[in-house]
Amino acid sequence: MLKKIVLIMLGLALSLSACSTPKSASGALTKISLPMGYIPNVQFAPFYVAVEKRYFKDAGIEITFDYKFETDGVALVGANNLPFAVVSGEQVPLARAQGLPIVYVAAWYQKYPVAVVSKTSQNIQTPADLKGKKIGLPGLFGANYIGLDALLYSAGLAEKDVTLDSIGFNQVAALAADREQAASVYSANEPVQLKAQGYAINELQVADYVKLASNGIITNEKTITENPNLVRGFVKAFLHGLSDTIANPDEAYTISTKYVDTLAGADQKVQKEILARSIDEWKTDRLGMSDPQAWQNMNDTLLKMGSITKPLDVSKMFTNDFIP
Amino acid sequence: MDINSLKHLPHIAKHHRRWLGFISLAAGIFVWWLIARYGGLPAFILPSPADVWTRFLRALLNGELARHTGATLLEVSLGLFSGVLFATILGYMLAKSRMLEQILSPYLVASQAVPLVAIAPLLVLWFGPGIFSKILICGLIVFFPVLVNTVVGIRAVPPAYYDLMRSLHATRGQILRYLEIPAALPIFFGGLRIGATLSVIGAVVGELVGADTGLGVLINIGRGTFDTPMVFVAVFTLVALALLLYGLVTWFEHRLLKWQEHIQQ
Repeated sequence: MLKKIVLIMLGLALSLSACSTPKSASGALTKISLPMGYIPNVQFAPFYVAVEKRYFKDAGIEITFDYKFETDGVALVGANNLPFAVVSGEQVPLARAQGLPIVYVAAWYQKYPVAVVSKTSQNIQTPADLKGKKIGLPGLFGANYIGLDALLYSAGLAEKDVTLDSIGFNQVAALAADREQAASVYSANEPVQLKAQGYAINELQVADYVKLASNGIITNEKTITENPNLVRGFVKAFLHGLSDTIANPDEAYTISTKYVDTLAGADQKVQKEILARSIDEWKTDRLGMSDPQAWQNMNDTLLKMGSITKPLDVSKMFTNDFIP
Repeated sequence: MDINSLKHLPHIAKHHRRWLGFISLAAGIFVWWLIARYGGLPAFILPSPADVWTRFLRALLNGELARHTGATLLEVSLGLFSGVLFATILGYMLAKSRMLEQILSPYLVASQAVPLVAIAPLLVLWFGPGIFSKILICGLIVFFPVLVNTVVGIRAVPPAYYDLMRSLHATRGQILRYLEIPAALPIFFGGLRIGATLSVIGAVVGELVGADTGLGVLINIGRGTFDTPMVFVAVFTLVALALLLYGLVTWFEHRLLKWQEHIQQ
């Protein structure tokens, strides 16, 4: 009884939105609130397409998007208050190291979506050129931080070889004003905006130097055991939306305008370029598949950074069993 | 019971009242432990007091906690000092000039309607991610309560006292020193007590947006790595900082206003 009361209170505190618990749908649709880890954005087009084309409904799922901090989504899924969340790859080992029983069931991004950008005047052509440079990043957490460290390690460098500057999500302005010599950014977003503003930049894509597990869908061990059909249906619907978005970006963009209020008034060229670059990071021979080596690399990177203190069982972090 | 022992009852009751705070705290920790122990919740949702204590010791011994607390304390001290300084000077000027108050009050009231969490990223962008933006945010949050209480305190001085000072040919400096400051201090300290606790929030808001050190950074790292005990350690340290500042202000208040107690007696 006490456990129930506390869980209900924590669930309410963590999310004002209606939370759904995984349950099998017997005729009626299973209502699911999906934490997205960011604000409404054209990069979420595959989800919007899957909703618009009723792929989720065909799988017996009625979905609502819940834009919130990525870590909150992980905690809610880990506590089995929600069945699914969209998160970055590093969240899985970080959470599992603290006992959260989450499992990654479908890969969305095949390339880790982080890059280090700099003005061409800095002449940063390779990761080794970052030595001694002042690099801005949102903070010492999250994908920007982990991607940057992975890039440094790929060149035999470490954090001590550079100056890290926590600047919040102000990378574009900081680079434009020459406050930073380089910045860790999301590869589909800030580089496009910098170029649109007329800056000549160099980009070092993390994915070109090390393959890391990237953004995808997580669930928890309990949902996999008790409701595998829900997981299968969810993954299938999402991958259908992903496939359609890759095949027809213009249609996906038009659909996204219904879900992203600000999209219609934004710079269409920039937003379409963001979608195009994102699609490039999603493409693969078989959508949704996780590469075990990418998970091993993520585990090794986090160990080296000290973010996890002991190696984890990589095989428990992900599964490809639900990929159609 | 000896009738004489009843004479000691008020003293015993007073002595025990001092322990009420500790008993309340211990009861709170016990309830927390009960929920964590029998609620069946994993540590990432609700760590037990023992988990948090262990994490506290680890952070203390490896120097992590001292480094981050030191950074926050520095920001809070400088932010509080600068916020109080500017608020007191401007507050005195506003108290003395209705015209100035009418000119500035729309801005001052409007500034309170702006959520600092929303403008903190802009301040970091404009003034850089260094310590200055944190001091500024801290100073801004302290500013208003101290300003308002300064104005109210100065205006609360009875006009008859001014007449008395003038009849004694007191200069403006003497009126300020011997009448206005002592008379306004009790109300001023009310604002300072609020400002002191708010200053901790100001520093953390700045650190959460973009910083390399500070308890706000520790909270971010704790959240990012699902190290909930670390989040608790940072939050409790912030509470301790706020209590320390509040206690310091209260101590100064008692010292500086001792003369009032003598008058009342």
